[in-house]
Order: sequence, then C-alpha cells, then structure tokens
Amino acid sequence: MGRLVDLNQIAVSLGGLPVLRDIELALDPGETLGVSGPNGAGKTTLLRVVATLLAPATGSGTVLGAELGTAAVYPVRRRIGLLAHRPALIPELTLAENLRHAANLSGIDSRKTETALRVVGLDEVSSRTAAASSFGMLRRTEVARLLITSPTILLLDEPFTGLDMEAQELIGALVSRTTSEGGSVVMVSHELGHLAAHASRLLTISQGRLEPAL
Amino acid sequence: MSFWSQVVEITRVDLKVERRLGDTMRIVLPFAVVALLVFPLTLGVDLSAISRLGPAVFWAIGILFGMQVALRQAAHDDPERRDLYALLGVDPAARFVGRTLSGGVLMLGFLGVLLVAMIALYSPELPDSWFGPLLLTSILVAVGLTELGTLAGEVTADLHNRTALASLIIAPLALPLVIGASSTLEAMTRDAGILPWILILVATDLALAVAGVGLARPLEEASR
Amino acid sequence: MTRVRVLLAIAAAGMVVGLWFALTAPTDTLQGEFTRIINIHAPSMWLAFLAFGLTALGSAAWLIRRQTRWDRLAEGSAELGVMFTAIGLFSGMVWGQAVWGRAWDWGDPRLSTTAVMFFVYVGYLALRAATPDPTVRARRSAILGVIAVVQVPLVYFSVNMFRTLHQTQSIRPDGITMPREMAIAIFVNVIAFTIVYIALLVARIDVAKAEEKAAAELALAGDAVKPPRLSEVKDV
Repeated sequence: MGRLVDLNQIAVSLGGLPVLRDIELALDPGETLGVSGPNGAGKTTLLRVVATLLAPATGSGTVLGAELGTAAVYPVRRRIGLLAHRPALIPELTLAENLRHAANLSGIDSRKTETALRVVGLDEVSSRTAAASSFGMLRRTEVARLLITSPTILLLDEPFTGLDMEAQELIGALVSRTTSEGGSVVMVSHELGHLAAHASRLLTISQGRLEPAL
Repeated sequence: MSFWSQVVEITRVDLKVERRLGDTMRIVLPFAVVALLVFPLTLGVDLSAISRLGPAVFWAIGILFGMQVALRQAAHDDPERRDLYALLGVDPAARFVGRTLSGGVLMLGFLGVLLVAMIALYSPELPDSWFGPLLLTSILVAVGLTELGTLAGEVTADLHNRTALASLIIAPLALPLVIGASSTLEAMTRDAGILPWILILVATDLALAVAGVGLARPLEEASR
Repeated sequence: MTRVRVLLAIAAAGMVVGLWFALTAPTDTLQGEFTRIINIHAPSMWLAFLAFGLTALGSAAWLIRRQTRWDRLAEGSAELGVMFTAIGLFSGMVWGQAVWGRAWDWGDPRLSTTAVMFFVYVGYLALRAATPDPTVRARRSAILGVIAVVQVPLVYFSVNMFRTLHQTQSIRPDGITMPREMAIAIFVNVIAFTIVYIALLVARIDVAKAEEKAAAELALAGDAVKPPRLSEVKDV
C-alpha cells in the first residue's frame, strides 16, 4: 500500500477567515500521527480535510489516492473513519439500532454489531436509547461502529476527553488494530500525554501551520 | 450497499424515529385542526360560506402546516450526522429519496386526518366521485411538499434560524401545489376537466425530484 | 392488579345496566330514537369536566407538596379527560347531524369551547410526552394543568351566556326539566361512566408506577457497562 495521505501547501479558510496555511503532511501505512495545539488552532479542521469533508482553498493533496476537492474522494470515504468531538448517533434509536443502521448503510453484515457491542462492553445496555446513555457509552458505541467498518484511515478528535480508563484503553486497542492492519491514524488532542502514549510522530499546529512538536 | 437499499434503510429509520417522537401526529396535526377551528370563527356564523370555503381552507392549512411535517427532519439534523453519512458512503441522492418517501407517508396520514376533520367541521358540498381525485391530489401534494421540505432543509443546514427561513423558502415554491390541489376539486364542482391541474402537480413533483436528486451532492458539499 | 380487575368488572356491569336504562327510557317526540345518544354524550362530558377538575387538583397539589402521586393523578386524569371529551364531541356530532342536519354548528359556543378545551389538553399531553425529565415534566404540566381548568366552567356555562342551538342544562338546582325516566337513565349512566373512569384511572396510575420503577432500574446503568474485551478487538 502506498502513501495514504499526501498534503502539499494546503490552505483552508472557514467563514472567510484563514484557519490553516502551508500544510504539508504525509502519512504512511502503520503510522500514528499525534497533532496537538490550543483550542481554536485548527486541529478539527485538519482532521476534516484529511477526511475529505473539507476541500482546501489552495494547495493540492491526495487521500487514499483520491485528489482532494474532486469527485474522486466519494468512493474512498468509506475507508475513512472519524470519531468526532460530539457523538454522531440518532438519539431516539437504541445503541444497538444505531450500530445496525450504520452497518446496513455500509452494506456490512449487521450480525457483526452484536459481536462489536460485546467487545466494547455494551451488550447488556444496548437496548437503551442514545438519548438515555452517558457520553462514555456513546463513545463506546462509536468505537464499536469503527470496529465493524474497519477504516484504513482512522481520525480521532479529542478521543480521550470524558472517558474512564477502560474506555481509553479501548481507544488504544482500536488505534493498534488499525495500524497493525496497515492503516494509519491521526489523533488530535490538546493533551500531550495521551498523544505521546500512542503516537509514533508528534506535530503541533501553530499560527495555522503544522510544526514538529517539541 | 445499493442505492435503493440505502433508500429503504433511511426511510425505515426515519419512520421509526417519528413513531417514537410523535411530532407529526401529536403536535403538528392537533395544531392544524385548531387552525381549522379558528378560521370559521373569524368568518362569523355564515354556514354557507363556511361550507363553500371548506376545501380551500383544507388545502391552505394542509400545506402551511404540512411544511412543519416536511421540515421535521431538518430540525433533527446536525453536522456530525451529515459527516457520518458521508463517511459511511451514503449517496446524498439516496438520502433525499429516502427522506421524501418517509415524509410523504407521514404527510399523507396528516392530510388524511385533516380531511376527515374538515368534512366533519365544515360540512362541505363535495362533488360526486370526489374520493379518487382527492386521494390522487393528496399523494401528489404530499410528495411535492416533502421534496420541498427536504431541499429547503439542506439549503438552510446549520443556520440558526433555519426553521423559519426554510418555511419562508418553501411557502412561495409550494404555490403550484396549492393551486393544482384546490383547482382540481373546484374543477370537479363545475364538471370541468381536472387533467390540467393534475399535470401541474405531476410536473411540479417531477421537477422537484430531478432537482433534489441532481443537486443532492452539491448541496451536501455546500453544507460544510 | 386484582383491584383493577374488580373495578373493571364492576364498571362493565355498570355499563350494561346503563345501556338497559338508555334503551328503555322514553324518547323525545321530535328527536325520536336519537334522543338516546344523550346517555353517552352527557355522561361523557360530565366525566370530562370531572377528569380535568381532578387534573387541576393534582397539579395544584403537586406544586404545593411535590409528591409524585399527585402528578400521576394529574396525568392519568388528563388522559381520561381527553378520551371522554373525544367521545362527547363525537357523540354530539352524530346527534347534531341527525337532529340539526349538521355535525358541527359554528353558531354554538358550547361546541367551539369544548373543541378548544379538547385541544388544550391534547397540548398538555404533548407537553408531557416531549419532556423527558420527570421533575421538569411534572412542574411544567402542573402549571399548565392549573391554568387550563378555567375552560371547564367556560364550556359548562357557554349555553347560558350565548343564545345557541345547544340545549341548556336540563338538570339544575331549581329542578329537572326532562321526563323523570330520562333523567334517571342519564343519572345511571353518569354513575356507570364514573366507575369506568375510576377503574381506568387506577389502572393508569398502576402503569405509571410500573414505568417509574422500570426507569429507576434503567438509570443505574453503571454496573451493566462491562469492561471492554481488549483481546477480542482484532476479531471483530
């Protein structure tokens, strides 16, 4: 598998304001990249560019071989997984139903959802609605979703925030599985300790630019 | 997963969520029936006027309040869910068709109950063989209004005043539906042909379907 | 559940007796057999008034004492009030269509005020359904429950305040203005409907208690969330 992410002189603006500039980023299979930076530095924006959800204003780049800002990104999106800052679950559905919904939309056998729920420790509470579940339970459900979709590029936005030790270990296991299968991970956090424990390379965003972390 | 499988899945889940929330039947529908009650009170006790105006009032209230049914999905949409659907490989056109189907089913139920209420309250003089054409126009209005609601929801995604703004966008665009639906019944009352009005409804629905499917991807990208 | 079954059995027996009285009571010369609808219509509206009155009482008691049982009373009574109002409206419309030739008379304030009362309490139930937190739900609906009850006297006295097609009260403090047998049939049906109301209210309160118990058990999810099986992550 060749280089998974290759960004050259990428600049992104949001709401007319420049957020990222001169971004150079290369990601190879098996790598875990940690990106730190203060609130509002552009960490989430960077993740969404790598997720192909945001097109760059200037510069060029490829993700999984697809040119950013073109229709080529649509088929590769299925191979990208994102754990966003806020859970993306339907509140009125149960945890199990949310998982089955994602599996059905992706064309994945929905029987895998039972295994995934058991592995993340939610099998006895999977009939609770997302609205009636704690943040930690929602996070675990999303980890279960990433386990069954098995993305090649895994993007994690402040993944350890608000989680107990067991759930944090689960995130770590997800990262290890992804890289051991030839994928790569980009993890953003303002907590350097978490990043140092999991990342093979550390960068920081400063003044909209990516720099090596000290 | 195939396009139509995604459509079925989105329709199924959308109807399940509505069954649990009950916004349409528990809130919007009673509100619409209250509007049916309020209107004649402003006319005074002119029973023949009330009877004559019944069908027109039904369509006006059905479409104005039906907009809330059409926009209910937009009220629950958020950027995280849209991103998730994109990364799960959901075709935006499938999302449009799925939402139109689920919304259409709810809208049809809404219009059906509202029609029964109008007949009971207004005692309108309906033409012979009214049921078939009325059912057809209700289906076409339900589909068209839901298509409009889904499109307007996408266009106003993440804006803080989206519900009011989306309603403002839909209202004038729904005029062909209002005219086609109310004129169908009026034409039957005069023993005139209803085909031109049905064709207006069909053409409107088709145009919205083409726009919805064709613009689904650009709208999804523009919402970010 | 035994007391509910006993109450329902008594209610069923009462309805049979009420039906017998309704079918054997004399009819009005002009309205004919349609007069008998009054044995459904009048008791339904009486029970609606009673039910909404008890909703207001339960609401006020909750606001003062903050005890869940008053909220259960308010909720159950409101649901039954909406049901009886719907029965009253529907039977009235059937009667109106048969006697006046119109199911709905816009000149009759009692009809309009009753319909408005119905929808206010539909809104009350929608508010409850939309509020997930039990304490917030009880507080908000208690406030609405106390305010909404002003409609009950408005509906009841509307026939006196406005000249209307609707019959004025036939049973008044100064006497009864209908045939004795007809009045007895109505009284018997009011009693039968009241027993139905009590039986259903008790059943509904029991259901509410069971729902609260289930929710309390559900709230303690902590122990049910198990440690993740980290060694099996690669096998999913």
